[in-house]
Amino acid sequence: MSDAPANRLSDDLLRPLLQTSWRFYALVAFLGSIVLMGLGTWAYQMYNGFGVTGINNPIFWAVYVTNFVFWIGISHAGMVITAILRLVNAGWRRPVTRCAEAITVFALMIGALFPLIHLGRPWLFFWLIPYPSSRQIWPNFRSPLVWDFFAISTYLTGSVLFLGLPMIPDFALVRDRTTGWRRRIYGGLALGWTGTPKQWHRLESAMSIMAIAILPVAISVHTVVSFDFSMAPVPMWHSTIFGPYFVAGAIFSGIAGLLIVTAALRKFLHLEEYVHPVHIQNLGKLLLLMSLLWAYFLFVERLTVWYGNESAEIAVLRVTQKGSFAPLYWTMVVCNFVMPFSILSLKKLRTITGCVIASCGVLIGMWLERFLIVVPSLGHKYLPYTWGTYRPRPVEILITISTFAALVLLYTLFVKFVPIISIWELRAAEHPSPALLPAAAREQALGETQA
Amino acid sequence: MSAVYAMYPDGDAAQRAVDGLRAAGFADRDITVISAQPMEGHEFSEMNKATWLWHIASAGGFLGLCGSTWFVQMTELAWPLQTGNMPIVAWWPNLIIIFEMTMLGAILATVVTLLVTAGLVRRMPALYDPEVSDGKILVGVANPAEASLPDLERALRAGGAAQLRRS
Amino acid sequence: MAHRWGMAVDLDRCTGCGACVAACHAENNIPTVGPDQAGRGRAMHWLRVERYWEGDFPDVRLKFRPVMCQQCDAAPCEPVCPTYASHHTDEGLNAQVYNRCIGTRYCANACPYNVRFFEFFNPQWPKPLHLQLNPDVSVREVGVMEKCTFCVQRITAAEIDAKAGKRELKDGEIQTACAQSCAARALVFGDLNDPDSDVSRLSRSPRGSKLLEDLGTLPKVTYLDRQTQV
Repeated sequence: MSDAPANRLSDDLLRPLLQTSWRFYALVAFLGSIVLMGLGTWAYQMYNGFGVTGINNPIFWAVYVTNFVFWIGISHAGMVITAILRLVNAGWRRPVTRCAEAITVFALMIGALFPLIHLGRPWLFFWLIPYPSSRQIWPNFRSPLVWDFFAISTYLTGSVLFLGLPMIPDFALVRDRTTGWRRRIYGGLALGWTGTPKQWHRLESAMSIMAIAILPVAISVHTVVSFDFSMAPVPMWHSTIFGPYFVAGAIFSGIAGLLIVTAALRKFLHLEEYVHPVHIQNLGKLLLLMSLLWAYFLFVERLTVWYGNESAEIAVLRVTQKGSFAPLYWTMVVCNFVMPFSILSLKKLRTITGCVIASCGVLIGMWLERFLIVVPSLGHKYLPYTWGTYRPRPVEILITISTFAALVLLYTLFVKFVPIISIWELRAAEHPSPALLPAAAREQALGETQA
Repeated sequence: MSAVYAMYPDGDAAQRAVDGLRAAGFADRDITVISAQPMEGHEFSEMNKATWLWHIASAGGFLGLCGSTWFVQMTELAWPLQTGNMPIVAWWPNLIIIFEMTMLGAILATVVTLLVTAGLVRRMPALYDPEVSDGKILVGVANPAEASLPDLERALRAGGAAQLRRS
Repeated sequence: MAHRWGMAVDLDRCTGCGACVAACHAENNIPTVGPDQAGRGRAMHWLRVERYWEGDFPDVRLKFRPVMCQQCDAAPCEPVCPTYASHHTDEGLNAQVYNRCIGTRYCANACPYNVRFFEFFNPQWPKPLHLQLNPDVSVREVGVMEKCTFCVQRITAAEIDAKAGKRELKDGEIQTACAQSCAARALVFGDLNDPDSDVSRLSRSPRGSKLLEDLGTLPKVTYLDRQTQV
């Protein structure tokens, strides 16, 4: 085996780190200004009082909580994909592993910001942290919001480590290939990594353990987020299906997010050699599977409500399917099921563009699904005298937009400083050993038999 | 004493060099092999494979389990406030906290053990060559005894090394 | 024996005059939010009077129902508060600790009666209205939840008085602001643990029922209502 292919691989994947065009600076400036605007809006909200939002009595949770659930859902992209694909040793995971794990970390960070944004007195958020206060009072562990805190912190810690550990050998590579300040910084980040067999074994064992540990934590995180709703006696919230429903929805929106990011990186960083159409099509097939699963959960939930004919729940069902929320509801159904099903089940339409369109639709649909879980139920509780309506105000819309900009900004910065495809893992794939199963080294299209 | 090593273009050549070093009487723990990716499938990559990491991770999880069980009880009894019709020490909700802390214990134990056993908290060792990042494999001995130098050099050349280096 | 505070509301007596609502505002320093905010659903009536029309013309009947915090014994608002700002006292009241509230508003979502209110803005009392504030009750700042407390300031004051005077509390000695101001005497407050008190007697009435009883919240307000003959 000659040096040329290995070096070309690392050259291609290190190029974004070593070469910067004006477009990068322009993009960062643009996104940064939107993020600053969002932060300014939050400051405005804190200064003027929470009343600047559209929240009212009885709809005390709306767009911020929707965003919270949405972003935590997106964060399931990385962990579930890479942990599961790592555990079953699916070779086609290698180019998308780090993309997905980065989405997870950034989406989690943004999602975890929303419980702060939606607080009435956010400067006292630290009372959710269990620390020994002078008054000996601790958080209330019976509250789903405290469960949120523990679950999200654990998941964030695990995700950051799961993302960061495999970056160490790549940082060593960058250290060896650069000079000056870059060499010093990446050398520090590489923590003195050399690459002895002992270090590789420890790293791979640690990654296997983390993959096994992260998977239940990821499932528990979105289950716990669903408990924010299912623990309250609100019609169409207090449902036992919420745990699995939310986890399935999270994986669904996570795959959609991952697909869009992977396709975007492939195009803008010229990674056509490393991210092949079959990778994106495999993600598209997974997306189709999750779309069917989501439709299944939706049907089961609504059939149960409709058949059970409990008057408070029927009121909520009616207002979403026929009443004032009907346009949003049917948009959601089209975006989450009809469109992905049509596009992704036909091989001719399951191109990269087709998959990206389906994924964009899914993201819109899943945001609407969260909104339609939160707001109609709160607006139609058990006493009709107290029913109410909600309309988002500019503050909420601006903050929502700025979080999308924040994700793209964080991702852009990440791609600038870290190789987005794990170089050592790709190299390991290019030297398949006889001991490994053939499927781990060959790219396999899901569902297709081996030639 | 300085190190002596050579760079090899692929795994088979490195394997020959390692075999040669072993035949010359060097123990596995004195032989240093460095590569830019895990060279699974080659025998030399099996060095130092045995690890306690799984046991330590489980122990970390167990510590998290015990610690969090004590913690939730202690805090709920420290200032017993009645909420809903629930008991003061409410086991159903506590299970969630206990689960999260158990997993966190396992994760943190894994990471700390990795950093320590992979030697990632020290400065870089002297025996290293940046050409490893180009795909070559380094095989050498870090602190060879004077007397063993001829055997060492012969073994390294047997693997097909073009030149020997010292650091 | 410890007290267990409860109320009885006689819907056959209620005239819908709203004096109770005004008295509650005055006693508990509840701000008025103005017509714009009220139109957006942010009115803060700890006690509200609901109006219902029943029947078709010409047999139309008007029904009023005052609804305040039911001080549920199995309150769904209590376990969900992350900071224990909402918890149950030994006397059966659902306490709301303003200083501990960080404004997650989960309690308001969990309350099936929608009797919890959020301070959306810092309340303003332009001079000289600030002179009407009750010094026994705190003024809540923006971002905290509040609700009917069964005039806990009056309960505590009476209990301290009785303890100092080394005597027992008499039934009727503590009057919540709403009960005190009701001209029709539709609102009755008292100790449910005292079997001879008015409220205990009324809560045992065959006309009595609880609001949303099937939800299992165990509310402590009994609504008395003659069953309409069909």
